[in-house]
Amino acid sequence: MIPQAGRSLADLAMKLAGDIAPATQTEYAAANAGLMAMLLLALAQEHERAAAVRTMDIDEMKLLFRAAQNEHPEAPGAGQRASYCEREPKSLLLSDLDRFHGEGLQALIALHAWAEAEDAGLDRRIWDFLLRHTERHKFELPPL
Amino acid sequence: MVPTALEALGLQLCSYLQAQWGEPVALAGIDQIPGGASRETYRVRLDLRGLGRVVILRRDPKTSLIDTERAHEYRTYEAAFRAGLPVPEPLFLEEDPNWLERPFSVMAEIADCSSRVADLAGDDQAEVRARVGAEKWALLGRLAAMDPHALGVTSFMPVPEHPAARELEYWAGVIDADALHPQPVAAAAIRWLRAHLPPPSDSLALVHGDYRSGNFLFAPDGSIKGVLDWEMAHVGDPLEDLAWSLDPLWPWPDRHLAGGLLPREEAIALWEQASGMQVDREAFRWWQVFASLKGLAIWISSTEDFAHGESKEPILAVAGWVMTDRQNRILVDRLHPDAPARYSERCL
Repeated sequence: MIPQAGRSLADLAMKLAGDIAPATQTEYAAANAGLMAMLLLALAQEHERAAAVRTMDIDEMKLLFRAAQNEHPEAPGAGQRASYCEREPKSLLLSDLDRFHGEGLQALIALHAWAEAEDAGLDRRIWDFLLRHTERHKFELPPL
Repeated sequence: MVPTALEALGLQLCSYLQAQWGEPVALAGIDQIPGGASRETYRVRLDLRGLGRVVILRRDPKTSLIDTERAHEYRTYEAAFRAGLPVPEPLFLEEDPNWLERPFSVMAEIADCSSRVADLAGDDQAEVRARVGAEKWALLGRLAAMDPHALGVTSFMPVPEHPAARELEYWAGVIDADALHPQPVAAAAIRWLRAHLPPPSDSLALVHGDYRSGNFLFAPDGSIKGVLDWEMAHVGDPLEDLAWSLDPLWPWPDRHLAGGLLPREEAIALWEQASGMQVDREAFRWWQVFASLKGLAIWISSTEDFAHGESKEPILAVAGWVMTDRQNRILVDRLHPDAPARYSERCL
């Protein structure tokens, strides 16, 4: 086993972009080899961080939900958010993390819609979360 | 020797063209053109009794990045060509799948041109780059000034009472139908757009729908010879195309020039001059946010296509992963109460 799968994927991406794509016989093949190299690089980054970024999102959403519960126990969806805060993903499999992460995002969307009309401070905190969320999920890709 | 699948497709097209033109058509070569994920696109070199001719074949894919109607696109090409806009000459639309297994259209090739704006990034290309940019936004302004009724497109395109509302609900519906995971940024953008709808447009135009670098062909001297990919064309607000053309996604990662060509304000001034219109900055802000949401909707839809559709074209996966990430960041930048403006141009 090669322990650093992400690094291996990145190496394969560079091989595909640097050696294989230029040796292809058609513009179509070269363009697609380049796209696949870009995808491999993105997947390499995602492989390394996938569990961490989902877990950070989940933890931060729970903080937002708990704050909303304290400040606005009357807000719609409070029961669902309280239940979410008490639970954990079924396992560390990405499919389980994704399911639990998605459940949290769905509850966040509802809370955000409510906060826009009712609590500017909470609205801003949710935007702050979305800023961190998008930054931690971003791909850093060199031009290929 | 057994022809390859690509050659077989070329030979089938030759049979079709022979039936249309009533003269022998031989295949001299065929190449698939990358990109254009809404249709499979091929450059086909023909031999007509010793005379060479090149045509562009666009065939429906098994699944597509954008679900579009081929006749709609073809008739838009016809209207644009009649009006003297630089587009490839449309030759045939064939909806009978018996010829090439799926419906297709055939256009004349625009030779010796490129669509790769990225090739103009160097200092030695500054003059050509500036000319492409000047033509790009002047041409868009010219399109904005044309009466869509006079162009003839209202015979097959609906005329919306409220273009902004119609476009927003269409793309919100695409996100709702195709998202594989909850989309909190898209959801917030849709709420913002619904709450800040501009009034119905003063003037309607033929909106290209995907007017960006990469979707036009330019000659080595920088003159634009052909605007391509009209599959999302519709009658609407001309600010929609302007906002789309200026989205920070297109020149990524070097976003200091709109579309990799000109400073944004210069592009807007060129458009205003050619269209005879002045950009309403408040309405334009709405269309900029909308452009980023529409982009996100297309990337979300492509993710769904890649995951569940028959086509496994890499462009679908790139759009679904890489483009979704970038467009999400642009939207947060546009809508966060005090975003750092790292990805968008909030001052516009």
